[in-house]
Amino acid sequence: MADFQTSTHRAKWIFTPQQLVEKHKVTNQRAKQMLEKCGTTRIEVDVDGSLSYPETQANAADNADKHSRPKPLSVDEEQFMRVYYEYKLREVCSAFYFPHKIQATALIYFKRFYLQWSVMEHDPKHVMLTCIYAACKIEENHVSAEELGKGISQDHQMILNYEMIVLQSLEFDLIVYAPYRSVEGFINDMEEFCHATDDQIQMLKDMQATAITEVDKILFTDAPLLFPPGQLALAALRIANEMHQVLDFERYLRNILSRQNSVHTISNLTESLDAIDSWVKKYKFPTEKDMKHINRKLKSCWGHSSHDDKKREKKSKHKSHKSSNEMQNGPTLA
Amino acid sequence: MGDGNATTNNRSVSNSNNNEKPEWLQQYNLIGKIGEGTYGLVFLAKTKSPANRGKSIAIKKFKQSKDGDGVSPTAIREIMLLREISHENVVKLVNVHINHADMSLYLAFDYAEHDLYEIIRHHRDKGSHCINQYTVKSLLWQLLNGLNYLHSNWIIHRDLKPSNILVMGEGDEHGVVKIADFGLARIYQAPLKPLSDNGVVVTIWYRAPELLLGAKHYTSAVDMWAVGCIFAELLTLKPLFQGAEAKSTPNPFQLDQLDKIFKVLGHPTLEKWPTLANLPHWQSDLQHIQGHKYENTGLHNVVHLSPKSAPYDLLSKMLEYDPRKRITAAQALEHEYFRIEPLPGRNALVPSQPGEKVINYPTRPVDTNTDFEGTTSLQPPQPVSSGNAVSGGMPGGHGVANRSASRPMQIGMPRMQPQVMATYNMAQAGMGGAMNPAGIPMPRGVAAQPHQQQHLRRKDPPGMGSGYPPQQKSRRQ
Repeated sequence: MADFQTSTHRAKWIFTPQQLVEKHKVTNQRAKQMLEKCGTTRIEVDVDGSLSYPETQANAADNADKHSRPKPLSVDEEQFMRVYYEYKLREVCSAFYFPHKIQATALIYFKRFYLQWSVMEHDPKHVMLTCIYAACKIEENHVSAEELGKGISQDHQMILNYEMIVLQSLEFDLIVYAPYRSVEGFINDMEEFCHATDDQIQMLKDMQATAITEVDKILFTDAPLLFPPGQLALAALRIANEMHQVLDFERYLRNILSRQNSVHTISNLTESLDAIDSWVKKYKFPTEKDMKHINRKLKSCWGHSSHDDKKREKKSKHKSHKSSNEMQNGPTLA
Repeated sequence: MGDGNATTNNRSVSNSNNNEKPEWLQQYNLIGKIGEGTYGLVFLAKTKSPANRGKSIAIKKFKQSKDGDGVSPTAIREIMLLREISHENVVKLVNVHINHADMSLYLAFDYAEHDLYEIIRHHRDKGSHCINQYTVKSLLWQLLNGLNYLHSNWIIHRDLKPSNILVMGEGDEHGVVKIADFGLARIYQAPLKPLSDNGVVVTIWYRAPELLLGAKHYTSAVDMWAVGCIFAELLTLKPLFQGAEAKSTPNPFQLDQLDKIFKVLGHPTLEKWPTLANLPHWQSDLQHIQGHKYENTGLHNVVHLSPKSAPYDLLSKMLEYDPRKRITAAQALEHEYFRIEPLPGRNALVPSQPGEKVINYPTRPVDTNTDFEGTTSLQPPQPVSSGNAVSGGMPGGHGVANRSASRPMQIGMPRMQPQVMATYNMAQAGMGGAMNPAGIPMPRGVAAQPHQQQHLRRKDPPGMGSGYPPQQKSRRQ
């Protein structure tokens, strides 16, 4: 839909940085409490898409000595986990040669999902694949779950199991505005703005290509949850213009503001673009060592109730027990 | 909250052994089935919450996608579009429920008692009186108004037909038109695949000539063609181009449908429609459609309008062959036809002039021998209750393709025991109703729906609506 102004994206899914911090804190806190009370954080998703919560263990806090008790992930560690899987998400999309739009939609779904949940509650690997699956359905590039699972040697049933909880967590707000289209629109507009000659048109084309890779970077940050897609596109274009030196960018910004009768001032807008830049600069990808450590912690958080663990029915929950199945659940994707 | 019957069993998310009614279903009293189509079923229910007690809701159940590939894409597309739009002349999606037992989705809409299919049929079958001018004009104006909104939001409906155009029954919105059934609707920018790719059968009577001739790209003009056909049908009570559908191959050339159109409008010519030459079926001309069988246009005779009259002028602009010259919804709303007496009104069913006869359209027949799963109950049919009996075929409420043969139905039977379903609602990312037993309708957080917002607040328990899953520690039973 062309109208971002009246979209659910604008109305419900653009936050302030404080709100974002708060949301991640809340889900982290909730998972921590669950770990204390139940000895596990994992919420199981059944074949019918319904959720099973871990049971409270009356003496969970007492019956284990401090050292073997699983430790929850910190907010920062959760962030690393999401960053890691967002990267994996793009790898999977590239492997399938999905268009940018699908990849962007899936990424935004993934980010939105983990505003509602902690990575300790739902395995990001499953959520990541389900987000791709859902994005394909929405963008009319239907790929069967089986095909998707096969392509990356994952069980596709788990994608189907997660579909409902993902759709629901997205509150069925499924239309997402990616900045790629805005980039295209601004480039067309710039052609007119500069009365571009053939040479300039070629330069704008090169600039567009650079801007697209900049958008790719921006989408890995939290910026898509903080800024509208048009601003994300302009931030990417500004960086691209610094590289290609095609036009006076500030003059262009002033021009669009005046044409749109925007309530924004040029300083507002520049401030937003600077903020988006700084998100990209702040972006940190976890090291292998980080991931090893986080994964170990995550596995212990999930330790006592994997769905493969048939023994949970008998409620025989020994702290030291870890099934070998669970050990495979890590950020390892074929 | 808002549901006095909510049980304490808030943990039951989905449990096939549980015979208790699921929480979301407890919000409703099921009245019966009102429609059936390829996508699934439509039920009529009434809300129980005190704030809205007795409000009628149409619940559309989508079957799981056939190929075992998760949630029905048709359902998802309909939801995703309806979540983004809000207009008086477009149906309002009030809630989405999930039934975990078969992974199906239930979409709850404000209920509309009538649709153009039933209204036209009522006039045709009974009395044989035409629909009065005021009603025709008001219905058409509101249809165009809703369509203009959709088109300006870059949405093409693609499946407009009388049964998809609903009209509200008695109440605040009496006589207000609601465009329904967005299962085939598309955003322009999205890749538009031919209808046949979706494996969905839609009636060809309202299909634009460019599509019949094999055009690959849909434009909003296809909806305007359908509106033209519907306009003519409102005037004459008969489908304008009633072609026999060819069903031999997955996407056959609909020769008879084109023939019916040519017969009334004359043959299209390259002069009037230059891009005609590029259309696959015209180009190949395997069935000699280029031959000039019909010369004179007889549209005015078919619709019994003077060629100089305003309604005829508007109709002929809607039935313009060249999609690029066809009148748009925005232009149509400005047409002279809507500026001359009788002026269109908000309540299309009740003429503003006193003395005009008000028609009491029959209420939608309801098949009460069903539960929310659509399975027929074992309870034997009960005798038709006096006064409430409605005779008629299964209606095609909300865009239903199949219309079963006429049979008597009754209203007011006790509700069937529905099967277990899980309660879920839009505002809550998580689980059962521990925090929100009433189920919050979707908050949009925009000023565009102040009405709904207020309504929300009332049902919204403190601290909810944030989308956070509540903390819940017990494994389900």
